[in-house]
Formats: sequence, structure tokens, C-alpha cells
Amino acid sequence: MPVPTTGHTVESLTTWLGERIALYLKRQPAEIDPTVPLAEYGLDSVAAFSLCGDIEEDFDFILEPTAAWDYPTVQALAEHLIKEFDAAKGGAA
Amino acid sequence: MLIGTAPQGAPARPAGVPGQEERVAARVAELEHKLGDPTDETNEVSYTRLLQDDEAGEISAAGERILDAAVLNADFVPRAEGGRLERIDTLVRVMRSVFRRDVTLGLGYGVTSFMAGVNVWTEGDADQRARFARILLDGGKVSVAYHELAHGNDFVRNEFEARPSVDGGYLLNGEKQVINNADRAAAWVLFGRTNPAPGSRSHSVFFAERAGLDASTYRVLPRYDAVGVRGCHLSGLHFDNTPLPDTALVGELGKGVELALRAFQITRSAVPGMALGATDTSLRTVVRFALGRQLYRKSVMDIPHAKATLSAAFLDLLICDSLSLAATRAVHLLPEETSVYAAATKYLVPKLLTEAMHELSIVLGARFYVREGEFGIFQKHIRDLPVLSLGHAGSAACQATIIPQLPRLARRAWFSDDPAPAALFRLRDDLDEIPFADLTLASGRDRLSASLIAAIDELPSGTPEERTVHAIALKMMDELRRLQEAGSSLAPEDRTALASPATFALADRYTVLLAAASVIGVWQQARTAEDPFLADPAWAAAALHRLARRLGQNPPDLPAAAEARVHDEVLRRFHDRTSYDLYDAPLAG
Repeated sequence: MPVPTTGHTVESLTTWLGERIALYLKRQPAEIDPTVPLAEYGLDSVAAFSLCGDIEEDFDFILEPTAAWDYPTVQALAEHLIKEFDAAKGGAA
Repeated sequence: MLIGTAPQGAPARPAGVPGQEERVAARVAELEHKLGDPTDETNEVSYTRLLQDDEAGEISAAGERILDAAVLNADFVPRAEGGRLERIDTLVRVMRSVFRRDVTLGLGYGVTSFMAGVNVWTEGDADQRARFARILLDGGKVSVAYHELAHGNDFVRNEFEARPSVDGGYLLNGEKQVINNADRAAAWVLFGRTNPAPGSRSHSVFFAERAGLDASTYRVLPRYDAVGVRGCHLSGLHFDNTPLPDTALVGELGKGVELALRAFQITRSAVPGMALGATDTSLRTVVRFALGRQLYRKSVMDIPHAKATLSAAFLDLLICDSLSLAATRAVHLLPEETSVYAAATKYLVPKLLTEAMHELSIVLGARFYVREGEFGIFQKHIRDLPVLSLGHAGSAACQATIIPQLPRLARRAWFSDDPAPAALFRLRDDLDEIPFADLTLASGRDRLSASLIAAIDELPSGTPEERTVHAIALKMMDELRRLQEAGSSLAPEDRTALASPATFALADRYTVLLAAASVIGVWQQARTAEDPFLADPAWAAAALHRLARRLGQNPPDLPAAAEARVHDEVLRRFHDRTSYDLYDAPLAG
């Protein structure tokens, strides 16, 4: 079920991303440091693509497939998404 | 000469000026003429001579001289840059004439430079494009140096370094291995790490011209001895603080992975269809054997198993060519969807061709093991062909390209996209120039499979063959529905390069489905064309029957008349000396 793109914060997205990435890596969410590059955890480029697909699906929001390459940590990606969501909202208003 | 129906919306052309189809047909005929009859022992590029070169580990000097004289390199340079390259599907047809004779020549003379080129045509600036074009048009070669043995297709982990230098430019350090033509190329397109950080934004692509480099800082590594393509100059490069100017950077700094994945969509869609020529020759070789050899008081051709094997190989060639056609024309027509089709082609076509060769070898029997003589080319092609699934994206890497896209396709594309334009399947229709800038990493769309779904309501069902096509199209639709269910519920760990074997199998089934969609599309468009064999539903029914059985479906029996029609065509093309592919092109021998 898509989650609306409004009402998110960097914190809530950090939690969502941490949980999702933990699934890919078969780790506990608490083990994912939001400031450590995902590639250092062994998240491969294929999984990084899939992650972008998940974001698209869960937030019903079209994202560049390379977003997780350009924003390689949980924190950077969460901040990027907030900006993109805000921009989309501005565009819609 | 066969000329296709003018496409809708094609630019008007003054009468008398040759169009794309006339140009490619003339080019193929020219190469066939210049390379001559390969079964003629007096020809300097006969199979016999090519086998001798292979034994000696040399690329055919006569072959290279002929291709130089024909300026084959121009076929890798876009028309806008002064060359002949206008379409990917037509380039495939031209290169097939070379691959029919010798995979070594196909790769070693040409494909390497073409692969290097697509990077520069995609992201190079005007000056780089002009310099690259100059090298090729002057007869030079360019190597594509991406590979490091330690990392295989996991090239994000590549270590070869191009460190930005404090004085401007870059310093090259490290090795590239198993690089075709590394020793004799005038330039190399290099993939190097420009940032020590892990991830996919730490590499860049460079166009390094040998003439400008400090020769004391690099060396060419010894040649590798390989099982096949023994004449190819496979070696490596070692750099030790080699300065490279700023102008060598192709595209943006740090965007090398993305550039490679975009540009190589073109070569992944194209090269398997070129190499199809080797299996075309192998089939012709075994037909010659089967017609000439007597066993049990019959010719081998009269033995039902042998006869069926030859027909099956021909059908596999038509299947491979249909998928190859759709993928190469998709580069022009559906560039945003090409990543999936190119990966499917690079995965499935080499696999089908290799399997067909194996089946053919059984008919050839002990002759298959002989390295010389009338049938010697067969064992050379069977050794050379596997290189196709090794170079620049192995089979598993191609499946890994498809896997992360399956959930998006399942949710967004399948059963909702519009069908592909008819031009995707039209062999001889003009296309606009290659939209290099529009190739993208993933789009979440799939109009090729949508064509299959749309066809179900349009396909005729008058004859038994037509009913077979229709029945199998329905089974393929069920297959897509199952793929959709499986694809939309993949666990996260099954959407990585380390996905389960079952997920890799899903990607496999999807590529077979795309091949079926291509066969149906080609036949639908050919029904009104002038080639009576392609217009006949017999080949489509028989080809789909093979694909359905491959998927473990239980297709209705193939009408006996369809089998007979395919067999007759195998014989007709053998006697008429025309190609075993979609084009039925006249061959020199």
C-alpha cells in the first residue's frame, strides 16, 4: 500500500530506510549506521537499484534508479527524499 | 532485391537515392563478395586457411587486409561522425558475414573497437568523438579495457586507478587483464577508479590515445592462450604513474559505472546477433554432412532424429534473430526499455546458440572431433562461440541486471503497458539515428511483452499452424501472469546479485517469454511482407513450440505440415546458398 509522501521527516525516513536496508543485508536495523556508506555494508549495485524500486513502490514516487548511488548513506538518502517529496508537493500545489 | 514496405512517418527520400535497406543489402553483398566462398580452398580466407591461422594462434592477415580495404571500421562510426553506422540491426547483419567465417576476425578486427566506441559516442565531447572517428577511419583499432580478473563482472570493485593529479589530469596505476588488441590498439577506452570511496560513483571512463602517453610508464602484458578465438590478441596493460590529460575523461567524473551500463546496452543487444553467423555456418556444415553421408543405406538426412535436429537448429537461429532484432531496434525505438532487452539477448541468445551447436555436434558424430578438413570449421566455431557469453557481461550478470527490475515490471508494466510499435519487428524498415542520450538504466516499462498480450486478440486462427501460434501465445500470457505473481512478491534478499537460484530461474523464463513475443511480432509483421517463408505461420508455430517446451509448457502437437515446411526451407537455403536467419541473404558460399 503506498504511503503518502507528506508528513515525513528525515527521522521517519531514516527509520524506514534502515529497516529496509537491514532486510537486504540480513542484519538488524540497529546495526545500520545512517552515516556509513551502504556499499561498506556490502549492499551491491543491484540491491541499490532494488532499493530505489522499493521507494517508488512504497511512496508511489518516481525516483532516479541511481539515487542510492548519489546519496550513498541512509542519512543522505533520507535528506534527498525529503527534498524530493517537498518539491513534488510544491509542484502539485 | 528485397525492399521493405516504406514505414509510416519515414522521411521522404528522392527517387534514386539509396535508402537504409539498399545500403545495408549492398554492404552485406560487398563483404560476401570480397571475403569470397569460404569452402573454396583457393580462397585466402577459406575455412581451411582460417583453421590454419587458428592452429597457429594468429588472426587471419588476409581477412584483416580485406576488411581494411572494405573500411569495415567505418561501420562502427556514426554517420554524423563521418562513418556508416546508422542502425544497430543493420550493423548486426553486416558483421554476421564476418562471424560466419571467423569469430576471431569478428571480435579481433571489429567488435572490440565498436565496444570502445559506444562509450565515446554516448558521452564523449565533440573533440573526443572526432578523434575516435579519425582513428577508426584511418584503419586503427581501439581496445576496451574494463576487465580486471580479480573482479569479473563486479566491476564496481575495480581497483585500477586513475587518480586526479595535483598538476591537472590523472595518473594511471594498476593493471587491466584479458584485453583484446591491447598490444596493437591506437587507443584504449579505460575504466578506472577515480575515488577511493566504495560504491557506484567512484569510477570514470577515459579515452587514452597511445600516441600521447609516456611509453616508459606503461607496458603491454604477455598474451593469454585461450581455448577459442585463439588468434585474438588477448593481453593486458600495466600502468605505473602514467599521466593522462584532462581531455581524456569521457563524460562526467565518477559517472563511469552509469556510462558503462548505458553504453553497453548497445553492444549487449548487438553482439549476440552478430555471432549468430557462426551457428549459421555450423548448421550449413552439418547439412552438407547429412546430405553426403550414407548410413543404414540412407543419407543421414533421412534419419528422423538427424532431420529433426537440423530443423531445430534452424528454428533456434530464427528465434535468436527475432529477439536480437527486437533488442537492436529497441535501441532506436524504445531506448528507455533497452536495459532489459539487451540483458535478455546477451543472456539467452548465446545460450540457445551454444545448445544448438551441441545438438548439431551429435549429428556430426566423430567428424565433430576432427580439427581439419571439410567439417573442421565446426569444432572451431564450437570452441569460439562460448567467448560470447564470457565477454563484457556474463550470463549471470545479465540475469542480475533483470532481477531488480522484475518487481517494478510486475507491478507497473505487465498487462498495463501499450504494445511496442510495429516497426520494432519490421526487418527492413528505416529507423532514426541511434539516440545514445536516451539510454537509461531502468524504466519499469516493457512494451515487448505487451505486444504479445495485444497479439492474442489479433492473431488469425484459420489454419492448424495459426491455431498453434494462438494457443501458445495464450500459454505465454499465462506464463507472464505467473511471472507477475512471483516477481511482485520477491523477498528483498532475492532482489540483489546474491538472489536465490529460483530468482535467477525467473529471469531465465522471462527472457524465453521475450523471445516468444519477438517471434510473434516478427511473424505478424511479416505476414504482409514479400518473403513467403516468413509470412507462413509454419516457422512461427514451430519456433514457439520449441520455446513452450523449453518452459515446460505442454503445447499442442505441432502440425506435421509445419515440420515439413521448416525442413524444406533448411534444404532450399542450403542449395540456394542463403543465410539461416530472418534475412535469407545471399551468401558467397
